[in-house]
Amino acid sequence: MSHTITVEQLSKTYQVPEREGGFGAAVRSFFKRKYKDVKAVQQVDFKIEQGEIVGFLGPNGAGKTTTLKMLSGLLHPTGGKAEVLGFTPWELKPEYLRAMTLVMGQRNRLSWDIPAADSFLLNQAIYRIPDDEYKQTYKELDELLELDPLMKKPVRNLSLGERMKCEIAAGLLHRPKVLFLDEPTIGLDITGQVRIREFLREYNKRTGATILLTSHYMADVTALCERIIIIHHGQLKYDGGITDLSHKIAPFKLIGIMLTDADSHDLSKYGTPVQNEEDADKKYIQVKAEDVTRITSKLLAELPVHDITITDPPIEDVIEQAFNQ
Amino acid sequence: MLLIIKRLWQVNWAEQWQYRANLLMYLLYWLVSPIIYLAVWTSIANQNGDVNGFTANDFTTYYMVLLICDQVTSNIVIHTFGYKIQDGSLSGELIKPIHPMLTNALINNIAFKTLSIIGFIPIWIALFFLFKPDFSNVALSGILLAIPAMIMGFFIGYLLSAAITALAFWTTRVYSIHEFYFALILLFSGQFVPLPLMPKLVQDIAQYLPFQLFLYYPIQLILGKLSTAQIIQGFASGVVWLGISMFLFNLVWRNGVKRYSAVGA
Repeated sequence: MSHTITVEQLSKTYQVPEREGGFGAAVRSFFKRKYKDVKAVQQVDFKIEQGEIVGFLGPNGAGKTTTLKMLSGLLHPTGGKAEVLGFTPWELKPEYLRAMTLVMGQRNRLSWDIPAADSFLLNQAIYRIPDDEYKQTYKELDELLELDPLMKKPVRNLSLGERMKCEIAAGLLHRPKVLFLDEPTIGLDITGQVRIREFLREYNKRTGATILLTSHYMADVTALCERIIIIHHGQLKYDGGITDLSHKIAPFKLIGIMLTDADSHDLSKYGTPVQNEEDADKKYIQVKAEDVTRITSKLLAELPVHDITITDPPIEDVIEQAFNQ
Repeated sequence: MLLIIKRLWQVNWAEQWQYRANLLMYLLYWLVSPIIYLAVWTSIANQNGDVNGFTANDFTTYYMVLLICDQVTSNIVIHTFGYKIQDGSLSGELIKPIHPMLTNALINNIAFKTLSIIGFIPIWIALFFLFKPDFSNVALSGILLAIPAMIMGFFIGYLLSAAITALAFWTTRVYSIHEFYFALILLFSGQFVPLPLMPKLVQDIAQYLPFQLFLYYPIQLILGKLSTAQIIQGFASGVVWLGISMFLFNLVWRNGVKRYSAVGA
């Protein structure tokens, strides 16, 4: 049986110019530029069946986006093969481009200076969507994403979340059979994230589309994907069910506490202290999930705690811990 | 395809309107040099009676027509597209099933020109009353021939500029390469000096280059200064150059896209 996506030994090495700082180095680099090879993706193999929703995880710089860019045809690989819907993506055949979508970042399909409605109509023409099908798809998208109030404003005047909604909708107008989504819920509030997830699940169920998505939010992945592919330092580290993965990854929680006189207490006896640059006021410790209740009550009893939070550690950290040893 | 072109036009036309003040600045900048050449050459010709047979009215009519041809045949694709390759914003266009440079960027250029020609008309009329060119030798047939010649000149110029713009896949210094190319246009198109006033060598070289097709050739057509043989020769060389520039553009684009690194988000 043929697969919707087949990736064999796919590799991408970037040549990045590098030089030291300073005037001398600048002059030298003018005559002879030095390049460093950055292996973004190394001999990755996987196959995805029609109708699967697969979560593509990995820390920043792991090679997720590079892989998505190759599969959507933006990048030529330095080695290996890929086939999506029977096409080699980077040949950029119009029939292929009409059958897939890549939603990536904030400014892709919409022109910033004009209302989204105009860009939508342009996409209708470009993707040759018949009028009635366009109206139907737009209606469905509008129901799920509440697009109508956003359609008439110039895109540059929309908020981050509003823009993301329009980007996703613009990417789905042509009802693609394969969806590559790079951080589809980034910048959205919780309701927005839930809406997008529901929408993607519904879309997948109704059309049988194949979806490969990356996300920073573990919730996106757990809500949508039964299968996870983890890539780290450009190499495939895991490919399998999400439940098997949770056994592999020791379940940890992060406890953040705000203390009076914070520096005079030794937190290492409660759990592993971790740095959190975003929130320097709090001290963070990592504990096993099963110990959370016990350690929290111990902390509250023994220390002058002002404030306490319990959160999941960032997805990157978890993967880093599980696969970097 | 017609619907695509129509919608692309609507989007780009609306976009150009957003930037109309910017466009006016561009237009004024664009007009400064030819108007200076016009003023300088006519005043020299007035003092000496003529310059190598070119009278003051020859210069005035030449440059007044040049202003029009320049509006029609020039393009700004290097400015509207070069940065997209460098900062990665090309990504969104590259995965659409239409050619980014031969559809969207092309229509964007045409929208820009249409709007700038609208702004240009009153300026041209003002200059007409200021310099009072004598157009009594201009015939309708010349104008009718010049229209396809200018359209051809525009497409040759657009494809060559697009090929240079696509060098941005290799180098971030593509703007200086284009500046050099622009200097060649200035010299060999007959903008800086009408070609017959150039040294024989320059005129001979200009015969084999496409640049005279942008200005000198359509100007001479309008002014009715070409023999039938010269007219045929001009169109023939236009067709050849159209083929060459299409080939060059395709060559650069196809190889460039392979090197695209889709930086940024």
